[in-house]
Amino acid sequence: MSAVVEVSHLTRRFGDTTAVDDVSFSVQKNTIHGLLGRNGAGKTTLMQLLTGQDFATQGDIRIFGEHPVENSGVLKNVCFIKESQRYPDDFKPRHVFTSAPWFFPNWDAEFADRLIKDFRLPLNRRIKKLSRGQLSAIGVIVGLASRAPLTFFDEPYLGLDAVARQIFYDRLLEDFGEHPRTIILSTHLIDEVSNLLEHVLVIDEGKLLIDEDAETLRGSATTVVGTRQAVDAFVADREVLHRDGIGGLASVTVGRLTPQDRARATETGLELSPVSLQQLVVRLTGSSQTVLEQSA
Amino acid sequence: MSTLTQPTLDEARIGRPGGASNILAVVRLHLVNRYSVFAVPWLIMAGIFVVNVAIWWIIFASVSSEADRADARDGISYSGALFYIFVYMLVLGIQAVAFTFPFALGFSVTRRDFWLGSALTFIALSAVYSACLTILATIEVATGGWGLGGTMFASYYFGGADASWIERFGLYFATYLFFYFVGAAIATIYQRWRNNGMLVLFGTLGLVLIAGIALVSFTNSWPSVGAWLDSNGPSGVIAWSLVPTVIAAITGYFILRRATPKN
Repeated sequence: MSAVVEVSHLTRRFGDTTAVDDVSFSVQKNTIHGLLGRNGAGKTTLMQLLTGQDFATQGDIRIFGEHPVENSGVLKNVCFIKESQRYPDDFKPRHVFTSAPWFFPNWDAEFADRLIKDFRLPLNRRIKKLSRGQLSAIGVIVGLASRAPLTFFDEPYLGLDAVARQIFYDRLLEDFGEHPRTIILSTHLIDEVSNLLEHVLVIDEGKLLIDEDAETLRGSATTVVGTRQAVDAFVADREVLHRDGIGGLASVTVGRLTPQDRARATETGLELSPVSLQQLVVRLTGSSQTVLEQSA
Repeated sequence: MSTLTQPTLDEARIGRPGGASNILAVVRLHLVNRYSVFAVPWLIMAGIFVVNVAIWWIIFASVSSEADRADARDGISYSGALFYIFVYMLVLGIQAVAFTFPFALGFSVTRRDFWLGSALTFIALSAVYSACLTILATIEVATGGWGLGGTMFASYYFGGADASWIERFGLYFATYLFFYFVGAAIATIYQRWRNNGMLVLFGTLGLVLIAGIALVSFTNSWPSVGAWLDSNGPSGVIAWSLVPTVIAAITGYFILRRATPKN
């Protein structure tokens, strides 16, 4: 059995709002998953459900084959780092790192020390007085050094600068190579992580829109640029994901193209460019924006 | 690849019986910041003690007749100075659930292990603090009120000057437990139902109190209430506090079992 996470028909309602709406998917062992979506799409709620912090309204969750809620055997193997994690009022970072090994059996103190230096985290300052980036660094360090077989990062790097984010990606990949584990990463900085991700889950308004291999997804859309006439002729019988135009020029995003398609496009003087993961997610989840604004 | 030599995370260790070690980890988590658990309460206590000594000194320096001094000593034996230290414990109990609970859940602790570990911590801390207070009370009695005729630890509410050490210890212990568990239980209501929970809790408590007063007044039972308090004495009332303490400990557990920390 290599599915670490199995979710079927999972629904979580809060009063009138449905935060997670009939979601089913599974996560294979030792992969890095991206959980992408807009603010309020239901990412955090989904992760809280998977880690037993919240309770499902309907549906079934299996983590390592068991229900996660109040299951210490399962939870010992899970680490959930969230952007909004709260710390006891009087804690300093060193208290966090002192206590972490008591809860995570795979904790690597040397690795943690190295990360603390990398992120230049002051250990003896009250957590309340840390900057947003330093606060995020605590979570990132715990998430990496705990080496939990199943690790969740929910927007782990709010306020981290570009250098610190790069350190996070580098250390994550490095350590993942040596100690393979299953990682689910939720983020808005899709372009930055798109090379890390092996599998992508896109969630919008509580519904799972995409559950796809990252490699497949990257080639799944192309932007065609050229004169309006040529572009229109080329995309006539295709599904158009997005359309832009200025004057006589048009830029149209379409689905997967075959090598023959590509050859034909080049012959007719059209330019083809790949659509990044970020653009794809924006195209797919942006459409409901107007609906959202109207209802708000 | 170094995966051959490194311990791999391949197999999640599900089957291991967690129980006791998880609960002990929670106890250690509560105590990890020794400064606020041990130093701060004793600093508060020391501060109160110094203020009290100053007051005793002023009183006995300004009162000259022996009869008035005896009167003052009697009044001082009703000292409520220790009350502050118990209020601090109430705050610690609230903080344990308000701050440490969301943090512990982030460290993959189950609610069950968190509550049992917290309860164990409260009991252990109550025992340690009660032992210290008992020793201080014994010194107080032996030195004739720190040489000044003052009373802070062996006060009327905790058995007075004549109580045995075991009786004193029991009274301190029960009081500590009451404040810890009631504080923690109130905080679980907040974790579960937020502001609405607080409104309902204090609304209900207010109504129950008014209803109780009404009941006693209309049935003309105030004399028997007085008689009950009189026959039990402060020690008896403290002993009875174990009932709400146990209720708080049990309901807190069941409330927390379905609570999700929100931000």
